[in-house]
Amino acid sequence: MPCSLGAAALSGGLTAAFGIVGVTLGLSAIFGGSRDLQIDWLLPLAGVRFDLGPLGGLFVAATGAVAVPVGIYSVRYAQKEHWARFPLVMLPLFVAAMLLVPAAGSVTTFLLSWELMAAASLALVLSEHHRGAVRSAGAFYAVMTQLGFASILLALMVLSAAGGGDAFDTIAAHVGGISSGARTAVFLLTLAGFGSKAGLLPLHAWLPRAHPEAPSPVSALMSAAMVNMGIYGIIRIDLQILGPGPHWWGLTLMIFGAVSAVFGVLQASVATDLKTLLAYSTTENMGLVTLALGAATLLSSYGAQQVAAIAMTAALLLILSHGAFKTLGFLAAGSVLAATGLRDLDKLGGLARRMPGTTVMFGIAALGASGLPLGAGFVGEWLLLQSLIHSAHDNNTLLALMMPLSVGAFALTTGLGIAAMVKAFGVGFLARPRSPAAEAAREAPASMLTGMALAAAACAVLAVAPVLLGPALKHVLASVPTVGGGAAGPTLGTYLRLPGLAGSMSPGLIAAALVIAVLLALGLSRWGARHRPVAAVVPLWACGSESLSSRMQYTATSFAEPLQRVFDNVLQPDTDVEVTHFAESRYLVEKVTYRTLLADPVEHRLYTPVVHAVTTWAHWVRRAHPGSVHLYLAYGVLGLLIVLVIAR
Amino acid sequence: MTWIGKIGRVGRIVEPADEAPDATAAPPTGVTGSLQLRHVDCGSCNGCELEIAAAFSSVYDAERFGARVVASPRHADGLLATGVVTRNMHQPLLNTLKSVPEPRVVIAVGDCACNGGAFAQGYGVVGSVADVMPVDVEVPGCPPTPQQIIAALRTVTGR
Repeated sequence: MPCSLGAAALSGGLTAAFGIVGVTLGLSAIFGGSRDLQIDWLLPLAGVRFDLGPLGGLFVAATGAVAVPVGIYSVRYAQKEHWARFPLVMLPLFVAAMLLVPAAGSVTTFLLSWELMAAASLALVLSEHHRGAVRSAGAFYAVMTQLGFASILLALMVLSAAGGGDAFDTIAAHVGGISSGARTAVFLLTLAGFGSKAGLLPLHAWLPRAHPEAPSPVSALMSAAMVNMGIYGIIRIDLQILGPGPHWWGLTLMIFGAVSAVFGVLQASVATDLKTLLAYSTTENMGLVTLALGAATLLSSYGAQQVAAIAMTAALLLILSHGAFKTLGFLAAGSVLAATGLRDLDKLGGLARRMPGTTVMFGIAALGASGLPLGAGFVGEWLLLQSLIHSAHDNNTLLALMMPLSVGAFALTTGLGIAAMVKAFGVGFLARPRSPAAEAAREAPASMLTGMALAAAACAVLAVAPVLLGPALKHVLASVPTVGGGAAGPTLGTYLRLPGLAGSMSPGLIAAALVIAVLLALGLSRWGARHRPVAAVVPLWACGSESLSSRMQYTATSFAEPLQRVFDNVLQPDTDVEVTHFAESRYLVEKVTYRTLLADPVEHRLYTPVVHAVTTWAHWVRRAHPGSVHLYLAYGVLGLLIVLVIAR
Repeated sequence: MTWIGKIGRVGRIVEPADEAPDATAAPPTGVTGSLQLRHVDCGSCNGCELEIAAAFSSVYDAERFGARVVASPRHADGLLATGVVTRNMHQPLLNTLKSVPEPRVVIAVGDCACNGGAFAQGYGVVGSVADVMPVDVEVPGCPPTPQQIIAALRTVTGR
């Protein structure tokens, strides 16, 4: 049943309102210390307990800040895409559940809100369930998110049993009594559970499936806000409550982070589906965040608190910037999808003329994702690089080995990230349309553009004025003393200064210099051209042939082909070139068909055998229930007998 | 010795320049700097291409006389056409000429471009370059030597 404008406005308005509430609550928690709320009657036995500290406040504020533009955007989007009532109801619920997760103050509340969030997101992923691809993505997501939940459930049960209480406060107070075995178990289980939510390798497989198939506002919420919860879990449980951890915790985080970042960006740079590209970019960015967290933990465990504080600040900034540019990226991709019905970059193109607003928005997002100066991701990535380069290792073999390797992985990630984003923007939006659908594209309505403009403003603030975030990040950093040891982090002023280190940088002044240079160049060229004759308009130079066609352009596939060739062993593409000759002469080619299939090699190697084994086992178990009621009754009686015999 | 000092000591090593020939074609009006040329192979055997490449190489260094080969006709002051005009290249040649801003010069290099040469009257041949567009300078030879090409370019650049 298609929705009316009123229903869509109510849903979007509620989403945005939850977002505003989240931002307000989050900011007040960051600056005003922790807030407690205990509701005993809401949940039997344990009760519901909220405890919002500065760290949770940052994540609540970030989630709220994502929800506001998404809510505004979703009003017209839902109407254009004929959303049913169900996703309209679930959208604000999903945001509310995500706001509850970082606010949870006890194990029970945390698990409850985590599961609410997972269930709401699953329902939203399935909102276009009439398409087979959506159902398959939904099944994949459901299994992985539930396995992740089981892992977290186990970890938190071990934690609360060892810590002697349900509330996080109680556990934190008794953390000294937790044995190292329990710590290790909790760390590994939470790493698996939270890592799968954050999309870390090898538990990333749901991301490139669920993100593209979910409606775009939902993709934006999932990618920019929900995956953050995985990172929040790692910081809250492993670093804040259980920390400071042993050396190998930091090492493990760094390795998982670096591998995820490189693999994610590699897949993004060869992806031809716009939303799959953005989804893999999420794995990349969460990998970078985890790398920064790992570096902070490792450096802190070796006593290099100042550098650890820089790495931790980098992690927090990267989370915020990723939220901003990924919201914008998915919303812009949603506008394209709504206008053309296409996600395939090889069929898009020419949108810069037809959708100028959306093109500018996606450009801002792509600039942010590529980590270049004036992009949202630049400041965080610069800080991370500085912390990796400047970690003095004093004959420590592990640090001397890990830090240069991480710099290498980081550099490779950033470089490939630029290639991926140039591809997404250049092939998707510039040049000529490659299909009639792209040619008929129309600009998104004003309310959708307004939503995107809000996210773009957040990108601009992160890019040129991180000074506004300085005080908040300082409070959050101080609330995680197990990493950085309460050392003063970098000063986020007009100049970014690193305490004790030589590096400094000013994104605001870089932006100002660039604007002045552009204005100067424009003015000078105008002044120089004042005596020139009027420019003549002539057809485009087509290398002597009659005219250019869209078939002559780079496609996403051809742009990524050299990369695909270089990383052939990692990507293992299945390419097939078929040449058909004319019947008269085999020297003349009638047509050439090029087909390339890029399956995720990790998914292929790791998941296929598991799925296969489970299917075989399920077939075997299935023989036991052929559908006969009598047999089932017999099972019941047999079970009862066994229980009676045992409990005799 | 630093490499800059070495450059100063060695100086230029190129074929010695002859006396500047008399101007046969004026440089396009408004061209005050060097002459930018777009090269079009209309159906050449590539002999002339080799000689043009040699003329612009460091040995003969045609650029010291103010001529330069550019990648796009939009950047050019003239055309450097080689080879007999074949049917396949007839229209592209006209399109390229149209893309060169006026005023412009057309320089035909080699016997084929000037009068059809060995391929005149061939079945796929339209004619010489002069048959399809006005030619300002002709460089005879099959192929012309780099010195001949440079001499012809200097009649236009005036250096």
